[in-house]
Amino acid sequence: MIRPRPLLTASIVCVLAALPLFILTAGAQQSDRAKQIGGKLLCGVGTTKCNCQQILTQCNHVGCTNSTAMLKTLDQKITAGDTDESIVQGFVLEFGTVVLAEPPKSGFSLLAWWLPTIYLILGLVLVTLVIYKWRKRPAAEAVLAHSGPKIPQELLDRARAQVARETED
Amino acid sequence: MDVFGSFALLLAFVCGVYAFVGGIAAIRTRHPLLIKSTRQAGMATCVLIFIATVSLEYLFFTDSFSSAYVVSHSNRDLSSFYKIAALWSGQEGSLLFWSFLLAVYVISVLLVYRNKNGELMPYVGVVLAGVQVFFLTLNNFVASPFKSLGVETATGFSLFTRADGNGLNPLLQYPEMVIHPPNLYSGYTGFTIPFAFALAALLARYPGEKWIHLTRKWTMIAWCFQTLGILLGAHWAYAVLGWGGYWAWDPVENASLLPWLTGTAFLHSVMMQEKRGMMKVWNVWLVFTTFLLCILGTFLTRSGVVSSVHAFAQSSIGPWFIGFILFVLLVCFGAYVKNRDYLRSENQLDSMVSRESSFLFNNLILLVSCIAVLSGTLFPVFSEWFSGSRISVGTPFFNKVNLPLGLLLLFLTGVGPLLAWRKTSADSLKRNFGWPLLVGLISGAIIFALGIRGFYPLVCFILCAFVAATITMEFYRGAKVIKARTNMNLLAAAQELTLRNTRRYGGYIVHMGMVLIFVGLAGAAFNRDVQKDMQQGSTMQIGSYNLVLQSYDSKAERNYTSQRMIVEVMKNNKPLMMLYPERRFFNTNEQSGTMVAIYSTLQEDLYVVYAGQNPETNAPVIHAYLNPLVKWIWLGGVVVVLGTILALVPNRRAVLVLAGAQQPAAAPSVAQALQSAVTHREGHD
Repeated sequence: MIRPRPLLTASIVCVLAALPLFILTAGAQQSDRAKQIGGKLLCGVGTTKCNCQQILTQCNHVGCTNSTAMLKTLDQKITAGDTDESIVQGFVLEFGTVVLAEPPKSGFSLLAWWLPTIYLILGLVLVTLVIYKWRKRPAAEAVLAHSGPKIPQELLDRARAQVARETED
Repeated sequence: MDVFGSFALLLAFVCGVYAFVGGIAAIRTRHPLLIKSTRQAGMATCVLIFIATVSLEYLFFTDSFSSAYVVSHSNRDLSSFYKIAALWSGQEGSLLFWSFLLAVYVISVLLVYRNKNGELMPYVGVVLAGVQVFFLTLNNFVASPFKSLGVETATGFSLFTRADGNGLNPLLQYPEMVIHPPNLYSGYTGFTIPFAFALAALLARYPGEKWIHLTRKWTMIAWCFQTLGILLGAHWAYAVLGWGGYWAWDPVENASLLPWLTGTAFLHSVMMQEKRGMMKVWNVWLVFTTFLLCILGTFLTRSGVVSSVHAFAQSSIGPWFIGFILFVLLVCFGAYVKNRDYLRSENQLDSMVSRESSFLFNNLILLVSCIAVLSGTLFPVFSEWFSGSRISVGTPFFNKVNLPLGLLLLFLTGVGPLLAWRKTSADSLKRNFGWPLLVGLISGAIIFALGIRGFYPLVCFILCAFVAATITMEFYRGAKVIKARTNMNLLAAAQELTLRNTRRYGGYIVHMGMVLIFVGLAGAAFNRDVQKDMQQGSTMQIGSYNLVLQSYDSKAERNYTSQRMIVEVMKNNKPLMMLYPERRFFNTNEQSGTMVAIYSTLQEDLYVVYAGQNPETNAPVIHAYLNPLVKWIWLGGVVVVLGTILALVPNRRAVLVLAGAQQPAAAPSVAQALQSAVTHREGHD
C-alpha cells in the first residue's frame, strides 16, 4: 500500500526538480493582431454573399467573397492605426451586432453569458438538496423499501432463474 | 417504380396506423389474436418501408429523371457510390431514410422479443408504431420523395422527364458523407428504442429495473452510432470544409451533441438504478429528454429557425416537429403523473464520497452542458423576439462555456470509477488516488517544462494523465489478482479480466478513448496557420515544414473539373512528400468544393488548402495550417467505439453479487422474490 506522506514528498520533489527547466523555456507565442480581432467577428452575416456564420479569420468557404473583403478592411484599419475597439465598432456599424462572434456583455445579451452559470448554480442546489434528502432518509425505511420481507432461498433462486431467462438478450 | 414506392409508403402508413390503434385496443382487451395481429402489422410496416427505400435507390441507380427528387440530387455522371448518399441529401429522402433506420430497429425489437416480455411488448409496440406513424405521415403527405416532375397545362397536369439531373451538392461528394449520416441517423433513431421501453414500462407499471436491463444494449448501440456519427461529421468538416477545424458549434452540430450528452448521462445514471434502485424518475426523464432532443435536433436542422451552413434540407416542415414534440411531451408527462408512485426510489445515500455522488455530479455537468449548448443555439432567436435585434452566438461563446465543464467532466471520469458504491473509506481513497495523482502532477511538470503555458491545455493534459493512470491502475490491479490465481502472464490476465466483466472494462476503454479525444482537443490551443500567394517554385514556411509549389494543373474528371496544386513538403530541409490540394468545379450545378491535402502524424497535422486565386494578381493562394494532436481525436473515437462494442459482448462468466442487507421477517411472495432478484442481478460493476 502506498503511504500518503512519501507520495506527497515525491510529488514536491518532482515539481521542484522540474523548476529549472521552466526558467529556461521561452515565453508564450505572440498572437497576430488581425487574427485576434478577426476572431471576434463572423463572416458574411447579414449579407447574401456568404452566410456561413464562421469566424472571419477561419472562413474558407468556396466562393466566399465576403471574408476577403472584410479581411481587407480589417487590414486597412489596422494599418491606419485604429484601436481594436474602434475596428470592431466599425464592423458593428456596418453589419449590426450580428457580426460579433459572441454576444456583447451588455443589455439583453448579457443573459446569454449568465444562463450557463445560472444552470450550474441551480443544478448544484438541486443536487445538494437531493443528497441532503437521501442522506436524511432513515436507514430502516430504506432497508424496508429495498429488501422487503425475508424471502426463502428456494423462492429467491427460482425467481432469479426466471428473471435471468426473461431478461436474456 | 416511383408509383410502386409511393404505394409501399402509403401501405406502410396504413399498417402503422393499425399497429398503433389496434395496439391500444389490444392492451385494453388483452385479446391474444389482436395482440398478434398488431405485432405483425408493425413488422409489415417495416418491410413496406424497406421496399419504399429500395424503390427510391432504384430510381437513383436507373437515372429516372422523371422523379423530382432524383433530378434535384443526382445526375448521370454521379458515381454509384454517391448515388447511395443521394438518398439522404435532401429533405424528403432524409426523412424516408429516418423511417428506414427506425424500421430496422423496430423490426429487430419485435423479432428479438417476439416470445418474451408478453406484458410489456404490446405497450412497446404501440409507442414504436406511434413514432413510425408520425414519420410516415411526413413521408406520405408532407415531404414525399416520390413526386414526379410535371407542369400545369390547360388540359390538366402533364408529366415530363428531364435529360439529366442537377447533381449532388459538392460538399456531400466525399466518402465520409456516405457513412456519416447513416451513423448519426442510427444514433437519433436508436434512442427511440429506450424511449419506447421507458414509456411502455411507465404505462404498464412494469417491474423494477427490467426495462432498463432490456434496453441497456439498445441504448449503448444508439450511443455508439451517435458518437461515431458525430466524429465522422467532425472529420468530414475537417477534411472538406477547408477551414482548418473540425467543430464550429454550428446549430446542426450542436443538435447532434445534445442527445449525445443526455444519452451519456443516462448510461451513467442507469447504473444507480440497477445497483441501488435509485434515480428512477431521473432515468425515465433522461430517456424521454434524449428522444425529444433527437426530434428537436431534426426540427432545428430542417426548420431554418437557426441559420446553419449544414442545412442542406431546409423547409417549412418545422411546425410538424413542434407539434410532435408537444404531443410526446404531453404523453410522457401524463404517464408520469398517473404512475409516478411506481418510480419511488428505494435507497438512501450513505456518503458524499461514493460512486453515487460522482454519478450525480457527472449527470449535473452533462445536463448543464446540454442546456447551455441548447440555450446558446436558440439564443439568437430569443434575442430577436425579446429585444428586436438578432445577435450571434458563435464558437468563442461555446468554447468559453464548455471548456470548464468538459474539464470537470474529465476529472469525474477519473474519480468516479475509483469510488466505491455506498461509501469510500479514507484508506481506499489514498490507495486508489495516490499513484494517479502523482502521475498527473509529474506529467503537468513535464508539460509545463516543455513550454505549455495556457491554463486550459495545461489542466487538460494533467487531467488526461491522471485519468489514464486511474484506468491503467484498475486494469493492473484486477489483472494482478487473476495472474496470482491462474499463473497467466499479465497481458493475458488483463484480457481475461476484461472478458469476465466486459461492461465494466469496456467502459474503462471508452473512458480511455475519451482521454485521447481530450488530448486531441487540447492540441487546438496551439494551432498555427499561414496564407500566401504562390508562384511556381516559390516556398512558404510553417513550423518545421517548407512548402514548395512545384506546379499546378487542371484535369477533367467524369463529374467535375479539378484544379490541382502540386506541393512538395520539406521537413528540416529534407524532402518529405508531395501533397495535392485541389478545388473541384462541378459542371451540372456550377458549384465548387475543396479537397484538402493532409499530412497527418501523432504529433501534428500539416493541413494544406488551395484557397483559390488572388482576384488582383491571379496567383494561386495556399493556406497552410499546422494543427497539433488532431490525430488523437480520431484515434480516441476508434477506441471509444471499440470499448462500446466490447461492453456489448456478454461476460465470459456471470458474476453475481448479492446485497448484504438484513431482511426483516414477513410473508414472502413470488413478486417480492422476483423484484429482489431483478434488483440484485448483475451486481458487478
